[in-house]
Amino acid sequence: MKKLLTASALLAATFGATSAFAECGDIKMAEFNWPSGELMANVDKIILEAGFGCNIELIVGGTTAIFASMNEKGQPQIAGEQWVNALRDLLDPALEEGRLHAVNKAPIEGAGEGWWIPAHTAKAHPELKTVLDILERPDLFPHAEDPSKGAFFGCPAGWGCQQNNASLFQAFDMEAKGWTLVDPGSAAGLDGSIAKANNRGENWFGYYWSPTAIIGKYNMQPVPFGVEFAGDENWHKCIATGDCENPKPSPFPTPDIFTIVTDDFMKSGGEINDYLAKRVFTADAIGAMLVFMSDEQASGADAAIEFLLNHEDLWKTWVSEDVAAKVKAAL
Amino acid sequence: MALKDMLPTVLAEFPEMGRTDLRDFKRGIDQIFREFSREYGELIENLFHPLRLFLVWFEKLLLATPWPLTMLVIAILVWLGARSWMLVIGTTISLCIIGYLGMWDDTMQTLALVSVSAFVCIAIGIPVGILMSKSNRVQSVVTPILDIMQTIPAFVYLIPVLLLLGIGKVPGLIAVCIYAIPPVVRLTNLGIRLVDKDVLEAADAFGASPRQKMFSVQLPLALPNLFAGVNQTIMMALAMVVVASMIGAPGLGTQVLRAVQNQHLGLGLMNGLAIVAIAIVFDRVSQKFGQRLQKHSETIHG
Repeated sequence: MKKLLTASALLAATFGATSAFAECGDIKMAEFNWPSGELMANVDKIILEAGFGCNIELIVGGTTAIFASMNEKGQPQIAGEQWVNALRDLLDPALEEGRLHAVNKAPIEGAGEGWWIPAHTAKAHPELKTVLDILERPDLFPHAEDPSKGAFFGCPAGWGCQQNNASLFQAFDMEAKGWTLVDPGSAAGLDGSIAKANNRGENWFGYYWSPTAIIGKYNMQPVPFGVEFAGDENWHKCIATGDCENPKPSPFPTPDIFTIVTDDFMKSGGEINDYLAKRVFTADAIGAMLVFMSDEQASGADAAIEFLLNHEDLWKTWVSEDVAAKVKAAL
Repeated sequence: MALKDMLPTVLAEFPEMGRTDLRDFKRGIDQIFREFSREYGELIENLFHPLRLFLVWFEKLLLATPWPLTMLVIAILVWLGARSWMLVIGTTISLCIIGYLGMWDDTMQTLALVSVSAFVCIAIGIPVGILMSKSNRVQSVVTPILDIMQTIPAFVYLIPVLLLLGIGKVPGLIAVCIYAIPPVVRLTNLGIRLVDKDVLEAADAFGASPRQKMFSVQLPLALPNLFAGVNQTIMMALAMVVVASMIGAPGLGTQVLRAVQNQHLGLGLMNGLAIVAIAIVFDRVSQKFGQRLQKHSETIHG
């Protein structure tokens, strides 16, 4: 009897100690199976465990599988970096019906496709502020096989983005302005051309996407297009398909990346949802971490610790001082 | 209990270089290459510049020539090479089909790359083969290099070539040549070494100089093998067209890549068959040409 009492007293004591974050308990969280997805899930895991006293179980999966499981089974409860475009038809009804909620509609800054130049080019030619400025200067980006023309590196043969770039090439009237659309043939070809330009200090202008290791590694700079987005109609019916005479100039649409939680968690998550809403990775930080992961062949868990150690300024803005101190102590 | 568990660790697990050392080792190689490419990249690029200009010029020439003229020239070349009406007609028909199916420009680009590559391969390969046949030491050095060239996966050397020369036709040509040169070298070497010793003795007896011996006796007698080599080199050059397209050499290969990425079976089949058609033309013409040369030499020596 006495033993039982002590046991229950002990239990009560532990309970009392954890009741500061009573809302938290066991949480299942998605870990998407690509580098930035792994990183984000592991950062969340450490912060939620150390700072909020949760117990996180990571569930590894891809976009569709994780979404289906959240939508149908209500588990995992949190998905950090859900890319929306591929799932829009399924996700929109789920959001409308309130089965799922988007607590953060842009957890990664500067994510998406675009046209880029190396940092040294941006520095040497500060006048090149937008794509429109660059298009007037094909002479700065000579094509090796025909130096009288500027080389614009498009997307590898057969990829979805190939048509987008070809249409934009037409929309911006680049041929008349003295440009050639170079097909790099493969991702390796495109990466190789970026690496070569950066190793040699040559100018380079072309298509890539972020967050990726190569963008971070060479500190490639996205170039604003200098035109407004010309509407979904123009993009989806014309630029993306190529089935039209006159595509209008347009930047790439911003991809929707949401942090999604289940309805139950929306109701019970409390301050964790506030954290998820505030947690925005800057383009620089995530770029640097992707370089780290590719150079060191680091796992998401290693990279998360590295991130928390090196980017304190950033993640401290996501949490209260109290929580920050706990996380720091746990590292 | 497995045998592994009974052994000391050194024998059970292969003693590896430490993880950090291994990483530093790999990084060291990368670093050396990067410095090399910074230091000499431009020089090497300039060395290859004439070749690039020639490739561009040749491709432009093929693209700018009106198609009937190109077809006529190809037909004449086929006739000169093979002296066979069948082949001339077959070539013309396949070119017509290719053009009708909208693959004319891609085919011309591929043709430009393959013919220049094959020419470069043969121009380098035959002299190297001759050198190999004359010296066992050269042979023992060159053979393993040829083995590497034929078996190393293309992307292993393509990425460094890319970093040195950028994407485009020249790296494409280098990729093609690395893969396609070994047969002509090997078979030239073999052909010369297989020439009957008695014949060489006879040539010596007639007081032939080494040069005369090589060009009037050994090479003509090695022709069957030599041409088999040339033929194989051309065929392998065509087989590399798709890989060359992966580093930005345009042509039929690009379309094949596009088709493969998107499961466009029709597109893939059409462009694949166009490559086959060019290959058959090259193959038959070079074979017939070789046979004719040999007949010619048989009448002299026979």
